[in-house]
Amino acid sequence: MTAKVTATRVDKRRQDVDAPDRGILSVFDRRKPAVRVGMGVVHAVLIGGLVFAGLGPILWLAKAAVTTTQDSIQHPLALWPSGIDWANLAQAWTDVEVGHYFLNTLILAAGAWVTQIVVATTAGYGLAVLRPAYAKVVNAAVLATLFIPSVVLLVPLYISVVRPAIGISLLNNYWGVWLPATANAFTIVLVTRFFDNLPREIFEAARTDGAGPFRVFWSIVLPMSRPILGVVSVFAIIASLKDYLWPSLILTEPDVQSLGVRLPAIQSFVEIDVLLAALAIATTIPIALFLAFQRVFLRSAGLGGAVKG
Amino acid sequence: MTAPAQLRRSRRRTPLTWLRGGGLSNLLFLAPMLIVFGLYSWGPIVQTVVMSFQKTNLITSHFVGFDNFVNVLEDPVLPTAVLNTLYFALLALIFGFPLPILLAVLMSEVRRAKGFYSALAYLPVVVPPVVAVLLWKFFFDASPNGVFNTMLGWIGIAPQPWLQNQATAMPSLVLEATWAAAGGSIIIYLAALLSVPPELYDAAEVDGAGIWRKVWHVTLPQLRTVIFVMLILQVLATAQVFLEPFLFTAGGPNNATVTVLLLIYRYAFQNSLGGNYGEATALSLMLAIVLAILSFVYFRLTKRWSTT
Amino acid sequence: MKSRKVIAAAAAFATIAALAACTSGGSGKTELRVATFPPGADAAAYEAFAAQEAQFEEENPGIDIIGVEYEWKGPTFAVQLAAGSLPDVFTVPFTDAKTLLENGQLMDVTDEIAALGYTDKFNPIILDAVTGDDGHLYGFPRQAYAMGLHYNRDLFEAAGLDPDSPPTTWDEVREYAKQISEATGKAGFMEMTINNTGGWQLVAASAARGGFIQEVNGDTTTSTINNPGTVAALEYLHDLRWEDNSLGSNFLLGWGEINQEFAAGNIGMYTSGSDVYTALVRDFGLNPDSYGLTVIPTEGDDAKVLGGGDIAVVSPSIDDATRAAAVKWIDWYYMQKLLNEDAAKKDAETLVASGQAVGTPVLPVLDQETYEQGREWIADYINVPLDQMSGFFDGIFEQTPVGEPKSHTQEIYALLDSVVQAVLTDENADIDALLTQADEQAQALIDG
Repeated sequence: MTAKVTATRVDKRRQDVDAPDRGILSVFDRRKPAVRVGMGVVHAVLIGGLVFAGLGPILWLAKAAVTTTQDSIQHPLALWPSGIDWANLAQAWTDVEVGHYFLNTLILAAGAWVTQIVVATTAGYGLAVLRPAYAKVVNAAVLATLFIPSVVLLVPLYISVVRPAIGISLLNNYWGVWLPATANAFTIVLVTRFFDNLPREIFEAARTDGAGPFRVFWSIVLPMSRPILGVVSVFAIIASLKDYLWPSLILTEPDVQSLGVRLPAIQSFVEIDVLLAALAIATTIPIALFLAFQRVFLRSAGLGGAVKG
Repeated sequence: MTAPAQLRRSRRRTPLTWLRGGGLSNLLFLAPMLIVFGLYSWGPIVQTVVMSFQKTNLITSHFVGFDNFVNVLEDPVLPTAVLNTLYFALLALIFGFPLPILLAVLMSEVRRAKGFYSALAYLPVVVPPVVAVLLWKFFFDASPNGVFNTMLGWIGIAPQPWLQNQATAMPSLVLEATWAAAGGSIIIYLAALLSVPPELYDAAEVDGAGIWRKVWHVTLPQLRTVIFVMLILQVLATAQVFLEPFLFTAGGPNNATVTVLLLIYRYAFQNSLGGNYGEATALSLMLAIVLAILSFVYFRLTKRWSTT
Repeated sequence: MKSRKVIAAAAAFATIAALAACTSGGSGKTELRVATFPPGADAAAYEAFAAQEAQFEEENPGIDIIGVEYEWKGPTFAVQLAAGSLPDVFTVPFTDAKTLLENGQLMDVTDEIAALGYTDKFNPIILDAVTGDDGHLYGFPRQAYAMGLHYNRDLFEAAGLDPDSPPTTWDEVREYAKQISEATGKAGFMEMTINNTGGWQLVAASAARGGFIQEVNGDTTTSTINNPGTVAALEYLHDLRWEDNSLGSNFLLGWGEINQEFAAGNIGMYTSGSDVYTALVRDFGLNPDSYGLTVIPTEGDDAKVLGGGDIAVVSPSIDDATRAAAVKWIDWYYMQKLLNEDAAKKDAETLVASGQAVGTPVLPVLDQETYEQGREWIADYINVPLDQMSGFFDGIFEQTPVGEPKSHTQEIYALLDSVVQAVLTDENADIDALLTQADEQAQALIDG
């Protein structure tokens, strides 16, 4: 009896790797009327709560982007009592130059993505696959930085970027933002772990066939690492879009500033309706990206939880 | 055929063997990471320690012993900053920590629309923090027509001063910070909930457990490791909160929202005539040591309760 | 064969590279990076600047002017100076000039000013701000202001007040503020409170009531923040906030924020530098018809009007050729319009053509005679609503000016920010205790 039950359960599990066939509530539980009502309530609460809290502010911003200043101040929750003010968007685009700063933000994010992938994959390959003798020391040194709060680095990092002992100042230079971000223990640990779990026989086989380390890296390891590259990409891009303090210190000239740095600097110089329009424009691309690549985002975000301890 | 590592080591090591053994390519692969970490991670860590004992103005620097530490400890704003930071961390813990767990558990049980709910929950995380803060600054308008005050008016609550009052400023910041971060935690918990073995629930039901007991005796213990990790991560993150106090209130009103990190920023960057980098690094160092000790103690403690 | 090809290619490369380097560095012009306007300045301001840039470059063909957006800001300045990315010519407020001087961060321009011939035309009080301990001059005072009371004529009318009769005493300000807030729901009066402006305005309010926050006796400076003037100023704010509720509901306002609120018609009256009109119209979109300016009310015999200003300085880290160009630019752009009729008229003409403000009330950096003559020269071009500012022009020369405190000014202002914020957000704030504590902290700063 038990064997049959176990067998059916195993079969069921094989069908759906992602979702277990049951959670807290069993099939039996769900048939109970009390539970049915309860689940209905849960749905209602979730929809109400998540739409209100998650979507609400963003919808409000979209509405406010085309609302006049007086309406936003006097009747913020009314729907356009004085009519729709499309001029806000035009002004945000031309006066505030949202487009220009947006482009800077994209360049910053793209650069962050490329540089972090390069550093993380080469480091992971070196530490996990090539494993020279000193790999253990390097690994420990990297792990150690995970426990050091980034605040500690702020001032000396700033000084060494802006006034380095050798070389040019990276003030107002995108490399001053990209390079420090690559010294990110978290992504390196992620990639190293992932490479650790790759089957080593494949590498051995490739080496037997005469492939050098570069070949193995390029043609074997990288193609196999799509999932982790996705995760690292999402982390790198999101971190770049979220970063405020560091870019605000390094990018002081308006020409090179990202939107995130520029908007607070001019918040008191811009009329409220135009500012809200600029904020709305600034939000569209991250949200669009998110909606387009939802699965990748959510999977990457969830990976943190799957890595137990 | 390359000899395995152990065999290689038993031969006499010369530069040539190193080269032949692939030493150069190893180094080439690790070079980017080593350079970057050296310049922007390990180097600055050492520099922090050194600078905290110096007085520097970007051009010259000289050794001043423990002066910086003494000055920082004697700063009348420091106790305020520490208390504010603890207050923020505590509020975030009480109101911001259980909520994602609860929502995740609820969301994991719905059969349909799970993706929809996940996307909704994650949306605030996607909004750039600067945009979120500027938007919420507007929401927090203390006049009776402000967005939140209007909504409070619908349910008969008087307009609140939000950011304009020393007592309500910090809770307002926590509210926005929770909104912005909850989604990320929810997704992580959802993923962790997926890996709870269903057999445990079956076994619990066989023992006659109802829904609440299943949650208490199966779900939460299984989530234990994740919860512990998320807890310390949240504490570490809230201890270093900067953006919200800086952009919302500049530390006001009357230093009610000055946090330790904001104080470090003030030491280093707010004086128009050259920052006090020595004191800034001294305070950073002290904060880092406190957090490191906290993390260490925490991990020792949770090891005892953890299943792994 | 291969190596020869390689050498040939390398040689060709080197030549091209050398040629390229030659052309880029050999244009012969001296590049000069100069400060223009803070962020938020509208396109028209830049048009006016472009026109003036062209005029200057025509007269000085060897100099290439590059305008750079510039705002005096703490973090930006110190670091940019160290990293060498400040404009070559920029402005610095009086309060910070002395300390920059002591740190060796300003360039000595004594000889240049002497060569230009107007060292003795400067108002001696103002010149003192740019004189180092060695008696040398380190900058060109370019603009000074006195504190004034700005008011919104539209709100006055809406409250039934006469916009041509602004208040002349603090009691009247309080009365009018109450009327405005009751009639329109907007803030009748407000004062700056964050980013060091809280302290700045508190010092002005205290000075207007006869108090001053620092006393200098030879070599010793004593902090005297807790004086009757300051106490009166804070009690005044307290009463307007908690008894009259005429300050509106937003109390965390800096220079930019309060200007924004005022220009948007949300504040009836506030105090700020008399020359802020230009910025209000150019950067914050103020409607000139709504603007009114009068003198800040004074109470008591010792009452003084706080003044300040900024100086045009040359970055110390540039070479001689650029330095000579910098002085030429400063003289041409900032000084000549004050001294020379043709220059004044041309400057006014260019500004008017792009709709920029001409004739904003300032305090003369040069002597009064030169100042008045200057205003006569540009009389035809003045486009600021002078009659809306009559309160200020009529009253300012009756008031006694006083400069900002000299020691650790910005840091002490930062301290006082908290005091003002406390009074506005805590009904039971103990003013005496706050001020005593501020004195202790300020004295600690002064003593080093």
